[in-house]
Amino acid sequence: MDLMEYRAQGLFAKYNVPCCLGIVVNDIDELERQKDALKYPAVIKAQVKTGGRGKAGGVKFADRYEDVKTVAEAMFGMNIKGHTVKKLMISEKKSVDREFYLSVMLDRNTKCPVFMFSPDGGMEIETLAKEHPDRIYKTVVTPSFGAKDYIANYFGTKAGLDSAQIKELNVLIKNLYKLFCEYHCLLCEINPLAIDASGHLIALDGKISIDDSALPKFPEFAAPEDGEVVHPLVKEAAGYNFLYIPCDSEGDVSVISNGSGMIMSCIDHIAKHGSKVRSSLDLGGGATANRIQEAIRIVLSDPEIKILFINIFGGITRCSEVALGIKGAIETYGVKVPIIVRFEGTNKEMALETIKTLPNVINVDGLISGVEALCKIKKGDVVK
Amino acid sequence: MSILIDENTRLIIQGITGREGTFHCEQMLAYGTNVVAGVTPGKGGQEVFGVPVFNTVREAVEATGANATVIFVPAMYTAAGVYEALDAGLKLILTIAEHVPVHDMMGVYHAARMKGARVIGPNSFGVISPGKSKAGFMAHRIFMPGSVGIMSRSATNCYETVFMMTNAGIGQSTCVGIGGDSIPGSTFVDVLPLFEKDPETKVIVLIGEIGGCEEELAAAYIKDNITKPVVALIAGKNAPKGKSMGHAGAIVAADGTGSAEKKEEALRAAGVHIAETTTDVVEILKRLV
Repeated sequence: MDLMEYRAQGLFAKYNVPCCLGIVVNDIDELERQKDALKYPAVIKAQVKTGGRGKAGGVKFADRYEDVKTVAEAMFGMNIKGHTVKKLMISEKKSVDREFYLSVMLDRNTKCPVFMFSPDGGMEIETLAKEHPDRIYKTVVTPSFGAKDYIANYFGTKAGLDSAQIKELNVLIKNLYKLFCEYHCLLCEINPLAIDASGHLIALDGKISIDDSALPKFPEFAAPEDGEVVHPLVKEAAGYNFLYIPCDSEGDVSVISNGSGMIMSCIDHIAKHGSKVRSSLDLGGGATANRIQEAIRIVLSDPEIKILFINIFGGITRCSEVALGIKGAIETYGVKVPIIVRFEGTNKEMALETIKTLPNVINVDGLISGVEALCKIKKGDVVK
Repeated sequence: MSILIDENTRLIIQGITGREGTFHCEQMLAYGTNVVAGVTPGKGGQEVFGVPVFNTVREAVEATGANATVIFVPAMYTAAGVYEALDAGLKLILTIAEHVPVHDMMGVYHAARMKGARVIGPNSFGVISPGKSKAGFMAHRIFMPGSVGIMSRSATNCYETVFMMTNAGIGQSTCVGIGGDSIPGSTFVDVLPLFEKDPETKVIVLIGEIGGCEEELAAAYIKDNITKPVVALIAGKNAPKGKSMGHAGAIVAADGTGSAEKKEEALRAAGVHIAETTTDVVEILKRLV
């Protein structure tokens, strides 16, 4: 999960990474109440989880309260790349001498944390990697040893920092690494990392991404933040611990399966046969009947879905539970669309027994037969 | 022969008294797996389907001479379970749970290498050598002994492929669930040399998916080290970009990193047969086996 900037800055502050955490406000009244805490010149930043907010008008400057207020009034409710601004962070604008890039991320290639640094900060790392790959310096951290002094020395030397600044960078890197590990981060990025007018390092902007699997350890980040766009069905499915993925908005087929691999394969097969998948729902492993009943209700609450394909290859998921879930959904909610069901694996026979008398349920033998049945039904629709 | 597990495997189930641990203990016993012990702290002295339960992995190993373990404990405790098994000297550790924090796995990945042990998973169905032994939760009746070695990031895609293979009369030597996470305990590159060395395995099937770089690393390894034919299937060609497809590891970045196209390109360049779909895997295998 990506954190909004103010939360990233909040974690920097907690770990003594010099930063510019300002006041955070949700409306003009809150701003009014906190106005004595403002420092000028001020920078007003829209809190949205998307890049390029500066260009989109989400970062403004002001020298006095009246201007801060005018800017804030205009910024609340602004739409930045599909994200509505509901929160602002206002901090003191720092005068900056130089800007660098610094991050630590989990590298899938080496299976280690990797620090990246560039003396050319400010622009997005993707752009930097394309335009000046030779200006990005990397070090791989051995997890059991942690971040060592040489990292700051290496990066600092490349940036031409003096020895006092390298010492400061060393402390900063170690604190950032501690935050990275303790909060199970996939990425901690400071961009830009600046040297201010007094020669000290400061994180002007930050991005932190936390491993979703570790989120249960951090209940403070569990609730979606204001202004975050969450698909209502994604949210509802998440409540049952299912992963709902909106796919092609032009499609009319929904796929439910018990594993992400099978969902990807289904989408690939259906695409190959010329149909489009509008949504998919991953039951994960071991779902029980009452949860499956809700999964079916959730995907079919999208009125654009005309066919549901439930493809189960049961290992830890028992086909019998899925069958009872389908039965439950039909009896409790009344299902209007055809459901193509493919069962294989654990408790298949029990499952077939359960669904054999259900209306509008088409049992198929195998993934390919399922996709073929789906195409036939679709052709039938065209004929009508 | 086969790889990783066979009739000589003496298996521990960590978390044997839990819902899944108990259910799959019965399934594994039914398949003929030599389950010698279970471990659940505080439940030592009990039995599950005749299998003795111990409080610690160390006691279980000392009492039964176990040489492998499968861990059926919740994600948040999986790493702790692996460390305990490593410390008890086990060299083959299978992890099942989904949603194990990736920092936990990073620690486990490097610790296992220091100890000379092999961790398979997490987010994996385990390992099966058809007709000999299975350790994990795969629906075993679809498998059949034979000469194709399979390694897969996805459980369901592996089942689908195996199901079609078995129906076509093509059996498997061993199927390894690499798992769907971004840092698996063992990667394709770790498993490839085992299949290369195994005389029973004639053809290797690699079932990958979008996200990460393991298929590319495998391609480089295959080019220089593997003499047996390799067939690869990459799932997720039509998956929407920028969205994690359920497996934590299955995501194509906005810039196309981790895409199926790039993986297929690398594998093709290494002489690997590329299958478009699960059906194609079987068609290609018919020619090779």
